[in-house]
Amino acid sequence: MTNIDTTLQDITRRQLFQTCGVGLGKISLASMLASQLSGSAQAADQPLADGLHHPARAKRVIYLFMAGAPSQLDLFDYKPKLKELEGKPIPPSVIAGQRYAFIQPDAAVLAPRFEFAKHGESGVELASTLPHLATVVDDLAFIRSVHTDQFNHSPAQLFVNTGSGIPGRPAMGSWLSYGIGSLASDLPGFVVMHSSGNVSGGAAMWSNGFLPGQHQGVPFRSSGDPILHVANPKGIDRDTQQATVELLGKLNRKRANALGIDEVNARIESYEMAFRMQSRAPELMDLSQESEDTLKLYGTSANDRGSFAKNCLLARRMAERGVRFIQLYHSGWDHHSNVEGGVKGQCKQTDQACAALIKDLKQQGMLEDTLVVWGGEFGRTPMVEASAALGRSLGRDHHPQAYTMWMAGGGIKNGQTIGKTDELGFHPVEQPVHVHDIQATILHQLGINHERLTFSHAGRNYRLTDVHGHVVQELVA
Amino acid sequence: MSLQTAIGLLMACATFSQTAVAQQVPTDDGPPDFNRQVRPILAKHCYACHGMDDKTREADLRLDTLDGSRQAIEPGDPEASEVWLRVISDDEDLRMPPADAHPALDQNSLDILKRWIESGAEYELHWALRPTRTVSVPLVNDKTWPRGPIDCFVLSRLEAAGLSPASPAAPTALLRRVYMDLIGVPPTPEQADRFAADPSDTHYQQIVDHLLASPQYGERFARPWLDLARYSDTNGYEKDRPRTIWPYRNWVIDAINQDMPFDQFSIEQLAGDMLPDATEQQRIATGFHRNTMLNEEGGIDPLEYRFYAMVDRVATTGTVWMGLTTVCAQCHTHKFDPITHHDYYALMALMDSADEPEMNADSPQVISQRKQIQEQIANLEEQTIEQLDLLNAKTDKPSASAYATWKHQQLSQTIAWATVPPQSMKSTMPRLETLADGSVLASGDATKRDVYTLTMPPLATDDPITAIRIEALAHPSLPSNGPGLAFYEGRRGDFFLSEIRITTEQGSVELDIGSTSVPNAKKGNGKTFPGNVLDENGSTGWSIPGGSGQSHRLVLPLKQATRLDQPWTIELLFERHYVAGLGHFRIDVTGDKNPAASALPSDLQFELAQSPQPLPADLDQQLATQYLRLSPAMAEQRKPIDQLRRRLPGETRTLVMKQRPADFHRETMLRHRGEYLQAREVVPPRIPTIFQRPHSKQPSDRLELAQWLVSDGNPLVGRVTANRSWRLFFGSGIVQTAGDFGTQSLPPTHPDLMDYLDARLRDRSPRGDAWSLKRLHREIVLSATYRQAVGSPPDRDPDNQLLSVFPYHRYDAERIRDSMLRSAGLLSQQVGGPSVYPPQPKAVVALAWGNAPWPVANGANRYRRSLYTFSKRTAPFAAAVTFDAPSGEQCLARRDSSTTPLQALTLLNDAMFVEIAGKLAEDTLRECRQQTPNPSPEQIASTLFRRVLIRQPSDDELKAFVDFFQQQSQHPNPWMLVARVLLNTDEAITTP
Repeated sequence: MTNIDTTLQDITRRQLFQTCGVGLGKISLASMLASQLSGSAQAADQPLADGLHHPARAKRVIYLFMAGAPSQLDLFDYKPKLKELEGKPIPPSVIAGQRYAFIQPDAAVLAPRFEFAKHGESGVELASTLPHLATVVDDLAFIRSVHTDQFNHSPAQLFVNTGSGIPGRPAMGSWLSYGIGSLASDLPGFVVMHSSGNVSGGAAMWSNGFLPGQHQGVPFRSSGDPILHVANPKGIDRDTQQATVELLGKLNRKRANALGIDEVNARIESYEMAFRMQSRAPELMDLSQESEDTLKLYGTSANDRGSFAKNCLLARRMAERGVRFIQLYHSGWDHHSNVEGGVKGQCKQTDQACAALIKDLKQQGMLEDTLVVWGGEFGRTPMVEASAALGRSLGRDHHPQAYTMWMAGGGIKNGQTIGKTDELGFHPVEQPVHVHDIQATILHQLGINHERLTFSHAGRNYRLTDVHGHVVQELVA
Repeated sequence: MSLQTAIGLLMACATFSQTAVAQQVPTDDGPPDFNRQVRPILAKHCYACHGMDDKTREADLRLDTLDGSRQAIEPGDPEASEVWLRVISDDEDLRMPPADAHPALDQNSLDILKRWIESGAEYELHWALRPTRTVSVPLVNDKTWPRGPIDCFVLSRLEAAGLSPASPAAPTALLRRVYMDLIGVPPTPEQADRFAADPSDTHYQQIVDHLLASPQYGERFARPWLDLARYSDTNGYEKDRPRTIWPYRNWVIDAINQDMPFDQFSIEQLAGDMLPDATEQQRIATGFHRNTMLNEEGGIDPLEYRFYAMVDRVATTGTVWMGLTTVCAQCHTHKFDPITHHDYYALMALMDSADEPEMNADSPQVISQRKQIQEQIANLEEQTIEQLDLLNAKTDKPSASAYATWKHQQLSQTIAWATVPPQSMKSTMPRLETLADGSVLASGDATKRDVYTLTMPPLATDDPITAIRIEALAHPSLPSNGPGLAFYEGRRGDFFLSEIRITTEQGSVELDIGSTSVPNAKKGNGKTFPGNVLDENGSTGWSIPGGSGQSHRLVLPLKQATRLDQPWTIELLFERHYVAGLGHFRIDVTGDKNPAASALPSDLQFELAQSPQPLPADLDQQLATQYLRLSPAMAEQRKPIDQLRRRLPGETRTLVMKQRPADFHRETMLRHRGEYLQAREVVPPRIPTIFQRPHSKQPSDRLELAQWLVSDGNPLVGRVTANRSWRLFFGSGIVQTAGDFGTQSLPPTHPDLMDYLDARLRDRSPRGDAWSLKRLHREIVLSATYRQAVGSPPDRDPDNQLLSVFPYHRYDAERIRDSMLRSAGLLSQQVGGPSVYPPQPKAVVALAWGNAPWPVANGANRYRRSLYTFSKRTAPFAAAVTFDAPSGEQCLARRDSSTTPLQALTLLNDAMFVEIAGKLAEDTLRECRQQTPNPSPEQIASTLFRRVLIRQPSDDELKAFVDFFQQQSQHPNPWMLVARVLLNTDEAITTP
């Protein structure tokens, strides 16, 4: 840490966020740093063009979290060898000492369930279930050698989001909110949406952990009231609400002046911002402003009650309105049985929208400063999972040793594939990329050195990447 | 707040902070204070590479000890000290700390370092690790202000800084403050008026004593303790299913209300089970360390998550009783604090040798209610048998003859079984022991794949053996009464017998597909069909579907009747994606020609087999009872009996600790880099080296650890405990880094006061507190410091560290809701009991795994105090979390206090708060109309105002509310709108 960082830490921890914080990351470390450095006033809610530690390549992140762990072997990482070995056990030399959730280590090999073909100028091989993604492969960078420390859903999802398998650490979006603040004055800086079921890691995945409360992720629903309590209560109209907030402002200002306590001003501001959010949030959710072509591109419609496709379009709208970290969870990838049918079904729900998001962002000129990340919490085994007691067959178990993610936009070098696994898809053999490396790289694109964005808590400086992580330089354009 | 104000605020904060730092710089040129001035510099800049961690130590130089430092420091002579020359060097290659990642020392730090070396470079133990000094109460100039020693300590620092205390708070403000602080709810306006009429010290003391004796005191102070205990009603992680541990919460509330001395309070929670003749309550108290999370996700490694629970226990114990962060030492020797990697696992070893069972915590009322219903059931069964005349051999009633036929069939199938207790047993993990009745009980740890190998004695029977029988039996020590060991993911108490192998010296004994008492165990059923245990497929097996606590039998005939007159072996394989070993079972053999499993309980079978014919009356009665319970012909007659059975109260089983017997000691392994899979050498139990004293007995188990933690041998416990209490009243502690008293912590704002409170808390003389927290709380609220008016701190002390005004702070989530419920006249007075579900939108739990229900309470449970709100870890109660309440996932020593728009949305729009506003208006109108038939808007507004804010409104304020009321008069319930504004004011949720 530099001197200034240290000073900022002290100020931040001891003073600012307890007393002056107005919420949802509006006051950021970055803006404080800027005003300190220049000695002049810089708007708290104006982003730093230059990043916190180095020039930023991305202003925001859209993280498409595929909860349940998609089968990389049936989507991205084509292994003809598995066809050859189907039905035979994996050599003990490969799997000795590995732990599995459900299967026994002597389980037989399961061949890829789909045909693969090369696409685009980059010639990336994709399974036939991803026809839409195939049209944008040249905008993406695939990482086929991601690996993680966790082999169960909840800890692994937490690990991707917080750098630890145990709940209690701040989420990536909270770190960003803390480090570089929000770009929006009437929406939260860190928004979470979900489609198709619920997620294993629970609220700990968007928790601020030990960071100040205003950095927590805010769950949005894609139908009904987007934010909890954002609508006026029954029988209270906008005028009454406005009169209420105005009267509160008047009373609270009087109190602030009488007592000379500045902190009361933070409360006044929080009510004014809440009131602004009340009108901004419904406007955000109103897809009638979008063209029929756009809706068709994503595969959503005006009366969509909450599909992944609708969430992708909403993500683009949030990105436009200054939300810093937008995370879409899509569950249902946990294919312990019938991986073929499962993957097919999930692709039907997600493939078109993922490709649409890339095309749309590109068309709006936003792809270059929006980092899009796609991935799950781990991969799936080359071995088959089957169990009479559980009624499972032709599935795949959890596989933390190697899986595939992709990234796009936000200063990522596109049209390439990083890393390689062995012929069984079991272990990475070229350029292994750990989850901490992914985290370091995401922060890097936003102008943050992951080793320097720290928070002092309980006698220790914590960071998203714990004591690990390296920026994957090959991914940086 | 405008943008300009925001920036102004930012700049102001930055400037203030620098001022605060500047204050700590001494103006004299004397030797600097090692702990306050020198150590922070060494810790920050040097210890990472020259500290106590020998794994990361550079150049074999350590600067954390006097001995080590002499290699590079020449006392009295900076210019001859390598340390000094290096830190001031201009040469990038020589300068320390290394330029790549570390800033150079600033001038202020250099000055301190130089003066320290000049003055002899003496080391002192970190202040918090030193025994408490005897401090004398300082002399102060203003003799009139202090009401006790606390005030002298505070005033002495104020006077030194040229500051003076604030004027006393107005009586109404003080009363609201002390009510909120001691019992968590405000006084009534009438109580406030009575105090305003007589704000004497005596009256104040009477009120304080009354509040300290109120049962609500325990509810108020239980909550911060439950934050530390990471209390929750669910297991955490993915599935996050409910658990029962509210009896522990009851214990905490009761113990605090009884003012149980803090040392006893601690010992019972850490090791109540190990106390001589431990009471049920003392065992319930051990729920403290059962509040760790439990991962129930399919396919986890249960021992890995047990390890994480132990990591949590070490961390929590460190935070609560030592104020030290131990978490770093899980992976490596602590860089800054004197806890080594070994120390960490030795501390874990002190707590590791325990099992984690449930125990019955039914209240006497429930027990007698259950007994009563059981008697009714027995009576009704007896009556029914009598009415049907089942036992009358002479009657020609069809019911009696149907029974006779059934009886005949049962008796013809009844065969003699002999129990065979194993000669010796081993297993891959659980501990197996033989009980007096020859059955086998398992305990301890288990895995997803356990094998029990039972060596059976030679059998000297007349006939060769034709079959063996395995009977799965319930037992109170098992999860949900068993019969299995499953405690997560699967149904609690479940088991799954995958395979059985019987061998003699001659080789395998061939077995036939037998029979089972489990209903509908047909071929193809992977969980019950008896043939599954012989099919060499681990994923099929025998188990008991349905509820826990049942007993059933599996009979496996030998293909060829065999004399087992040599030692023989039974091997049982339990394989599932969760722990599924049998917890309690019995092995029987028979030589009968037609061995089959019977639905009758085996004890009855045994008696029937021994009995002469015709059956004696009592046996006949027992058999008829079974007929009534089992026969399809009795379905109609069973209905009223089953109805009664459904009324049997469920068992409350709470989570506790149970020390393992000496011969079953669990060994603790050091984990390299803190990783579960990297187990290294066994580490014996002991306290950290820094605390060890020559010639005194060192703790060697959990009870002795608990006793040591609250003994004078632990220099931290009094300070940490006093500091925590202080923070509950003033919003921040004397040591402001709550939960951390390590070398990285901020020095205490009032070191002498810290030591005074510590000594007093532990003082067992009549003048001392003898670990009574009530006495400590009393002393704090009676102080003049506490009774000051709230206000803005002076520029010279912007953080209000010196307490020249009462610090403004927001109330926690619980007191915000509880005080509003109280103002609206809704708050339930019930103390203790299971958790409740106040209203919140379905969307909150919908985000969590598995569509957990949130059955919103009606009636009194809707308005219980917030500490009874069901705590779901992965979807915590939204209105609480928004105001920084914890999720229960980790021990929390200090809550954050944020201000966010989500809080505004919650108080304004959450239906729960709108309902409270509505009831507040309704109740206020009723009250006003009782006094005058047609109350004026001013009267109503004033009454509303006082119910929420207690004080009298000013004329301006009253007018603002009446104007608002009139402006909203078109609304069907304008007074609700007024009430809603009041509940949303800054004053309603902050310290008066």
